[in-house]
Amino acid sequence: MKLKSILIALAAVLFSVTAPAAEPLKIAYSDWPGFTILEVAKQKGWFKEAGVDVELVWFDYAPSIDAFAAGKVDAVTAVGTDMLGTGATGAKSKFIALLDYSEGSDMIIGAPGINSIKDLKGKKVGIELTLVEHLLLLKALKENGMKQSDVELVKMSTNDAPQTLSSGKVAAVGAWYPVSGQALKQVAGAKALFTSSDAKGLIYDVLAVNPVSLGKRKDDWAKVVTVFYKCVDYLKDPATKDEAIKIMAAKVGAEVADYTKNVPGTHLLTLAEAKEAYKKGTGLDSVYGAMQNGDNFNRANGVYKTAQKPENYVFPSIVQGMK
Amino acid sequence: MAQKDWLGLKKELPARRRLVLTILSFLLPLALWSAVSYIPWLWHPYVRVTVPGDVGLYDEGTYVPVADFKQQVAECQRDKVAPPEGELTNPVYLPAPHQVFRAFYTAFTTAPELQDDPWLYQALGRSIRTIFWGFVLSSLIGVPLGILCGTYRFFARLHEPFIEFFRYAPAPAFSALCVAVLGIDDAPKIAIIFIGTFFQQVLVIANTVRKVDPALIEAAQTLGASRWALVRRVIIPASLSDVYTDMRILLGWAWTYLIIAEVVGAMSGISAFIVMQARHQHFDNVYAAILMIGIIGFGSDLLLAKLGTVLFPWKRPRGAGAKRTWIAWIREPGPAWRKSVRKITPAPAQP
Repeated sequence: MKLKSILIALAAVLFSVTAPAAEPLKIAYSDWPGFTILEVAKQKGWFKEAGVDVELVWFDYAPSIDAFAAGKVDAVTAVGTDMLGTGATGAKSKFIALLDYSEGSDMIIGAPGINSIKDLKGKKVGIELTLVEHLLLLKALKENGMKQSDVELVKMSTNDAPQTLSSGKVAAVGAWYPVSGQALKQVAGAKALFTSSDAKGLIYDVLAVNPVSLGKRKDDWAKVVTVFYKCVDYLKDPATKDEAIKIMAAKVGAEVADYTKNVPGTHLLTLAEAKEAYKKGTGLDSVYGAMQNGDNFNRANGVYKTAQKPENYVFPSIVQGMK
Repeated sequence: MAQKDWLGLKKELPARRRLVLTILSFLLPLALWSAVSYIPWLWHPYVRVTVPGDVGLYDEGTYVPVADFKQQVAECQRDKVAPPEGELTNPVYLPAPHQVFRAFYTAFTTAPELQDDPWLYQALGRSIRTIFWGFVLSSLIGVPLGILCGTYRFFARLHEPFIEFFRYAPAPAFSALCVAVLGIDDAPKIAIIFIGTFFQQVLVIANTVRKVDPALIEAAQTLGASRWALVRRVIIPASLSDVYTDMRILLGWAWTYLIIAEVVGAMSGISAFIVMQARHQHFDNVYAAILMIGIIGFGSDLLLAKLGTVLFPWKRPRGAGAKRTWIAWIREPGPAWRKSVRKITPAPAQP
């Protein structure tokens, strides 16, 4: 009997049971300017001000998606095309806000002596397969009249991009913030051959919400979206920009000067820009077009087999209804 | 007295010399690290640019291989333009000792910039708690199971093949499952430590228990010890001190899973610090954190070793008289044992 009560107590400690009612909305976020900006709202107390109880949970990017897929958080900040992949294997989501698109932070970086994408013909390129840099490389090749088979892809972890490039074993690597900047800094003569600013809208980031939670608490989520665009305005306003950057840099442990240089590589969307991008279209200026492009890429590269329809994910009504 | 021989085979050294050697064992790697960091001609394969000069490709802070830098300087002199300046340096991944020690100090003295972010000591505390629970839960099941497997062939055959198989399973591969079942807070992290420790623990302890001198067991059986008495009075006491040593090694093992465990679910503890600092290439902070983990691990092991000499006085190198310890209850014949002994005590021979 005693043993049983001890076990129960132990289980209670471990699986800390919480009451389902009036739970805060749990949002998983990670190290990317478009995601980390939520920290500004937390530090300024804006969620409370807006009357919504939000718990931001700091993650590494990949585990944040695992946690969302497992239903342990209500929303996650993520690359839209990654969420198509998560949706294909079960955890569907609704993109209730468009956060940013990458505008320079993602790069294909050439080794010294490589001056253009065309120079890569027949050479090795280090890339983390099926992730956004792979998508970016395909876009770069296509724009230059080439295709994937014109280069030899070498599997690489993006975090190792600087070392891989400096080893001289590859002609180029693909890397995202903050690794891309580090690779440029550490390999003299390396240069960006193609960046996400050459393909704006290729990589949209979204606030992906669990449909069940959205159905139950749509008003609360609308408040979250409002607060997000308030953060963007705060970052864009020259008067408050420095304070916003200071908070974001502190969250990720970067130096403010470095972080300031990195932020422009991410184009944070204002409410007006988000409304524009939520309009239906087939180009990359519409999130529908971008997601269709990502879906084609995901299927071509075996991320999943069943086509994911953009309109099942893109959820424009909250943003469109805002003033 | 004068013990001249430092290299006596299997001969314990005097306390003073032991201390000197212990200190040296730390100083040698430190000296190597310092040499590589401070003596430029030993390694320093890069030049860190301080003044870019008129070389378009260089910025302040660019790392350039030494040969390329020299060539660039030569070209600049030939073309009569401002040459770049820089200092010899190691790759950014290997900071110098003083940078790491400074980072070590500032890490503890710097308040978290954002509210709700933990102080470093709080993060460390959380890591220690994670290890503690993972290890305790693993031991609660692993130690008894290991003793059973070590004692009875039945349990060994029933459990060990699967455990032997499963211990190769990479613990991190279960992270998604752990999150799905246990959530994102501490439970999935504790579970990863558990998975990383438990299977090794059962096998190691079973093996240790199997090494109990068979003569002891035979003697006890001859004296008619019951099955339970055999386990409690012979096998456990005989293997206890070795099991204790195993546990110290296994605890170190558990620590190696920490970094993997703490990025499962929400990032937490010292690993969150290490992962984020590494991503932004503050390797002085990364090594400082590694140092902290080393100190905690080494310190706790020293304490446990000390505790071991109190718990198991007969294992001390030079016995200072066996003190009565908590373990006396095991060594002193209890009622059950006495009974079983009495049963077979031959009646005194009648004259």
